[in-house]
Amino acid sequence: MTINETQTVPAPTIEAETAESLVGPWKVVVLNDPVNLMSYVVLVFRKVFGFDENRARKHMLEVHEDGRSIVWCGLREKAEHFAFILHQWHLTAVLERNETD
Amino acid sequence: MKRIEVRLSLGVVAPLLDVIKAAGDSLDDELAAPVALERIDKDLRSEWRDELIAAQNGDVRNLLALFDSEFFASGVVNFDEDNADAILRSCAAVRLRLRERYLSTFSDEVLETGEVALEEMPESDRRFFMCYLFLATVQELVIEHLEPSLSDE
Repeated sequence: MTINETQTVPAPTIEAETAESLVGPWKVVVLNDPVNLMSYVVLVFRKVFGFDENRARKHMLEVHEDGRSIVWCGLREKAEHFAFILHQWHLTAVLERNETD
Repeated sequence: MKRIEVRLSLGVVAPLLDVIKAAGDSLDDELAAPVALERIDKDLRSEWRDELIAAQNGDVRNLLALFDSEFFASGVVNFDEDNADAILRSCAAVRLRLRERYLSTFSDEVLETGEVALEEMPESDRRFFMCYLFLATVQELVIEHLEPSLSDE
């Protein structure tokens, strides 16, 4: 397999906003799956939530090692939006009510 | 626009295309990971399903479009920023489908490490497994070459 790279121009726009919140009434939880690559999961977290590399990797490792990671908390409508996008990327995302709030 | 051109071995990849096409076709009206959606509440599930399938179909079309007449003439496929996300997602979808339909006898660990004695594997399984690995390689190439800017933030 050989690879040629051509035409480097400005960096692609990250389509997501930065999502910092881990408090709120609804949690978006990503569950482990045996198929998706670790690098792919990191990339998805970066694109969907705008996480930096370290944070995305931390959540990916939680998913991989603990079977789940809470990636975002907040209002239901926004949580649904994130869960939907994660499903588009074929990650297993569920919504859970945040019992601590 | 950043773009990469990958020259593949026709002899290795061409036999895998039937598998990719069949798996892609089987996703026409089904989600690659239906179990994932079952964990979402019923109202949302029915609201999301059609939209997810439509998006998945669009992504799979992008993947199949890579293997056009140019590929069969030269062995070259092109990835760019326009098709990168769709290619990444469609590879994930087809890999999930292969895992579910054809590779369910393999343990998660074997599939994660890829450490399998290919020569001991039945020919039919071997094609599915090779396809599974090939699509992972495509994902790794796209992530490495088209998404590096993400790591600079």
